[in-house]
Amino acid sequence: MTNFIDNVLGTPARDTREGKKGNLLFGVTVFLLSESMVFVSFFLTYIILRLSTKQWLPSGVLGPQLSITIIINTIVLLSSSLVIYLAERAIKKYKLVRFRLLWLTTSVMGTYFLVGTFKEWQGLDFGLSTGLVGATFYLFTGFHALHIIVGIFLQMLMLVRSFVRGNYNRGHYGVISVSLFWHFVDGIWIILFSLLYLWQAKH
Amino acid sequence: MMTPILEKIALFISVALMIVISYWLGQQSYNWMPVAATAEAKHVDDLFSFLVALGSFIFLGVVGMIVFSIITCRADENDYTEGHPSRGNNKLEFFWTATPTILVLWIGWQSFNIYQQLDIEGLNKIIDLKASESGNKSMLIAQKIPNQIEEIEVIAKQWDWTFRYPQSNITTSELHLPQNKRVRLILESEDVIHGFYVPEFRFKQDMIPNHRLNFTFTPLKEGKYKLHDSQFSGTYFALMEADVYIDSPEAYGQWLQSAHNNILKPSLAATEHAHQPRQLIRSDWPTIEPATPFVAQQ
Amino acid sequence: MTHSSATNLKESQIKQQAWKRYFTFNTDHKVIGIQYLVTTFIFFLIAGILSMILRGELITPPSDLVDRSLYNGLFTLHGTVMIFLWIIPSLVGLANYLIPLMIGAKDMAFPKLNAIAFWLIPIGGILLLSSFLLPSGSAQAGWWSYPPVSIQNPTGYPINGQTIWLLSIIVLGISSIMGGVNFLTTILRMRAPGMHFFRMPIFVWTVLSAQLLQLFCLPALTGAAIMLLFDLSFGTNFFNPTSGGDPVLYQHLFWFYSHPAVYVMVLPAFGVFSEVIPAFTRNPLFGYKSVAVASFGISLVSIFVWVHHMFASGTPSWMRILFMFSTMLVAIPTGVKVFAWTATVWRSKLHLDTPMLFALGGVVMFIIGGITGVMLGAVAFDLHVNNTYFVVGHFHYVVYNTITMALFAAIYFWFPKMTGRMYHEGWGKIHFWLTFIGANLTFFPMLPVGLQGMVRRISSYDPQYAGWNILASLGAFLLGMATLPFMANLVVSCLIGIQAPNNPWYATGLEWATTSPPPTENFETIPTVTLAPYSYGLPQYSTVDTTDEEAIKRHGN
Repeated sequence: MTNFIDNVLGTPARDTREGKKGNLLFGVTVFLLSESMVFVSFFLTYIILRLSTKQWLPSGVLGPQLSITIIINTIVLLSSSLVIYLAERAIKKYKLVRFRLLWLTTSVMGTYFLVGTFKEWQGLDFGLSTGLVGATFYLFTGFHALHIIVGIFLQMLMLVRSFVRGNYNRGHYGVISVSLFWHFVDGIWIILFSLLYLWQAKH
Repeated sequence: MMTPILEKIALFISVALMIVISYWLGQQSYNWMPVAATAEAKHVDDLFSFLVALGSFIFLGVVGMIVFSIITCRADENDYTEGHPSRGNNKLEFFWTATPTILVLWIGWQSFNIYQQLDIEGLNKIIDLKASESGNKSMLIAQKIPNQIEEIEVIAKQWDWTFRYPQSNITTSELHLPQNKRVRLILESEDVIHGFYVPEFRFKQDMIPNHRLNFTFTPLKEGKYKLHDSQFSGTYFALMEADVYIDSPEAYGQWLQSAHNNILKPSLAATEHAHQPRQLIRSDWPTIEPATPFVAQQ
Repeated sequence: MTHSSATNLKESQIKQQAWKRYFTFNTDHKVIGIQYLVTTFIFFLIAGILSMILRGELITPPSDLVDRSLYNGLFTLHGTVMIFLWIIPSLVGLANYLIPLMIGAKDMAFPKLNAIAFWLIPIGGILLLSSFLLPSGSAQAGWWSYPPVSIQNPTGYPINGQTIWLLSIIVLGISSIMGGVNFLTTILRMRAPGMHFFRMPIFVWTVLSAQLLQLFCLPALTGAAIMLLFDLSFGTNFFNPTSGGDPVLYQHLFWFYSHPAVYVMVLPAFGVFSEVIPAFTRNPLFGYKSVAVASFGISLVSIFVWVHHMFASGTPSWMRILFMFSTMLVAIPTGVKVFAWTATVWRSKLHLDTPMLFALGGVVMFIIGGITGVMLGAVAFDLHVNNTYFVVGHFHYVVYNTITMALFAAIYFWFPKMTGRMYHEGWGKIHFWLTFIGANLTFFPMLPVGLQGMVRRISSYDPQYAGWNILASLGAFLLGMATLPFMANLVVSCLIGIQAPNNPWYATGLEWATTSPPPTENFETIPTVTLAPYSYGLPQYSTVDTTDEEAIKRHGN
């Protein structure tokens, strides 16, 4: 029993540099799991409110509509996950220029998504205080957008650090962590997208 | 040192003593509760007595062992040698995992049974939100046993109670209930969450705005009781109370007759809000205005 | 000669400067641990004064000391400060100090994050307390802040007590999550060679299981607080029933965290008992493995019991019964722990020093807290006493009479290690007896008065309840007085106490193997662990020289 648990979690390489950097990745993973619980509480709130409310959409309100812009937005965001993965592979091979290029592309795609979100907000026929549909839509997409902003900020930080000579000689755990965060934000969007757009409300 | 036989006898006597004391405390526990004024109250008191007896036994057992050790097992001041080397005992550990398991299952089963008995008497009608909203269940009962159930609406708002008797078309500030007749309360809140609680009735139910909640029970013991809001409802929460009477059937009939002329009293909160009492430290932070007396919608 | 005097001079200079580091952004886990403990103790005193004002109001039936709004504000802040600024963070501080020492690490995994997490505590706390100065007054909706009461804003001010309350809850929540990430990483990845899971002291096990709860339940409260803030300040209506929102949903989200929060608080307290009791009984902890696993049992079950706070909230019958049974299940792993402590005390060599008195007092009073807790789980009985003083009594038997007692036990127990000086035993015992009597006098009367039907949170009450309330109020004042000898003892002992040896209690555990106080990186060389914990039979933990080869073999694991 004792040995079984120890084997599963591994004998920690405690004081080595690898060990410390590994701690960072482990910590980021734990943090993301914890952070996902905030989103879970939002998703459950949304589902319960949707199911228990008789008239979800106030009269005259269409609610969030699945449009071609949103689909493009979603495709851009999701494919940025692939781009950041390629960037991560580039840095593992110490191809710094390719890394910077791909890394920057991810940020641009994220920014495109953000701009798209704000444009969509402007064109909607309901506001934050329009019933539960407005409250849930704006708070949840806004909270997600906040995560994208944080992600882009972290990407910029890593980009700047890539110009520090020899910064990645000892490993690139910062890059892996940011990339993990970005995948997480994308994953959340898939659920959010399904809940907000694919689950169509009846009139 | 005691011989093993003497030890066993001592153990037997102390366990027997513990059982006697626990049983006695369980019987005493009926006196710790307020008067039991409804048919449901007795079941709750039985459950409480059972819990007290069982709890006392565990408390006496564990604390008895600790106190006994404190008295008999003191080490000399500088003796920091090992007490005893035992790190565990599988049999014993299994025993004390199994015992609480059996005990809590027993407690759970007992409370479940008693809760079911309350169900039969109608407490579960409180719960089913969807059904009570549509009124299906309550209508069914009302159809089955017409005139057997007295229906009363209880309306709560910050910080005032109002009672409506739809069958007699009366609105009052005090709640009268007929003895030995099933009563259905229809609970409504107009602003925040309130709670319906009369200690002598042994149950409470939150009142959630925009959700009508019903529950049924049988008042038994004549007398005057006090209804108190049980869910914190803001500044004058402490003052949100109303008088409750359980009347004999005749007195209840008479009251229904005379109540037509009753004037609604302003709530305690409204009175205090108009004339603030003397208090040593005053913050005068802004508050919600207390509701004015309910005016019958006719 | 000159060389050594030069180092002496340097050392004394360092010592003179040492106190300053407690006011800086220091990343040493020991400094941070003490920062936590001292800061949260100040909040404990503030919240204690608030509670004494509350008990002062309740010593007479009518409302005559403070006005009603102020009373509501006082109990709101009393609860919030005690929970979020005393019990949870003070245990985090204790764990911060002890965990790296106990597992043989040089520091926590993320020292900077650790320091940030600490500094958010005073920020959140001062923010919260400053709301007393607002024209709208502080938050008055209770520490549970149920809507719609909490989203009523009679003042009309955009910044009011309730917004400040929500913001500080979010800030303190972020601090807790940072702490949780740090503890989990440290415990799982920074253990010394040979420190297998089943060689970790129980305190480490309990912190691990408590922090898992923090990490996965706390975010639900943060989510709820964000939505409540939007309801209050930006006109949404997630929880506003008049516009289609669902106030009961908030209760679910709130209790999904706030019930496990009780275990976040009580588990490390159990850990302290499991350290102190073996040391002062000279016994290995009886049933170590089952006590360790029971910690996880408790935290796992505690995730699925939250609805027992809402038996009266219009909860469907099936839910009531399901959650009644799950609530009762918590009693099983908890019972395992209590029995293990009792069996450890049984036929031992008891030393009744101050830490042990607090630990035994805490265990005995926890039994009352636990039994009343199981009673509250029984739905039919709960419907009678829910929201009465019975619940207040039960809850304080757990948070004060168990957890705060455990904290006092821990402070006395590790005080020599933290400061390098001994505390005064006589004053410690006086502190214990005043606290033990005061705590029972304060919280026991709440049980009968609750059975009688006195509703909690009321600022005036029916005169029939006066007797018990007078007792409780007198007890509360005594409890307030009881902290004075404690503070005097610790401050004076810090300055002029006797030098403490490295291991004054002849206790096991890596923290006692290093110097008192430990050097900056804790150990000169990282130790290798070869023994099972609580090996009290070994010669190095004994005053008598027994080089018993058999004993050493027995304790090797």
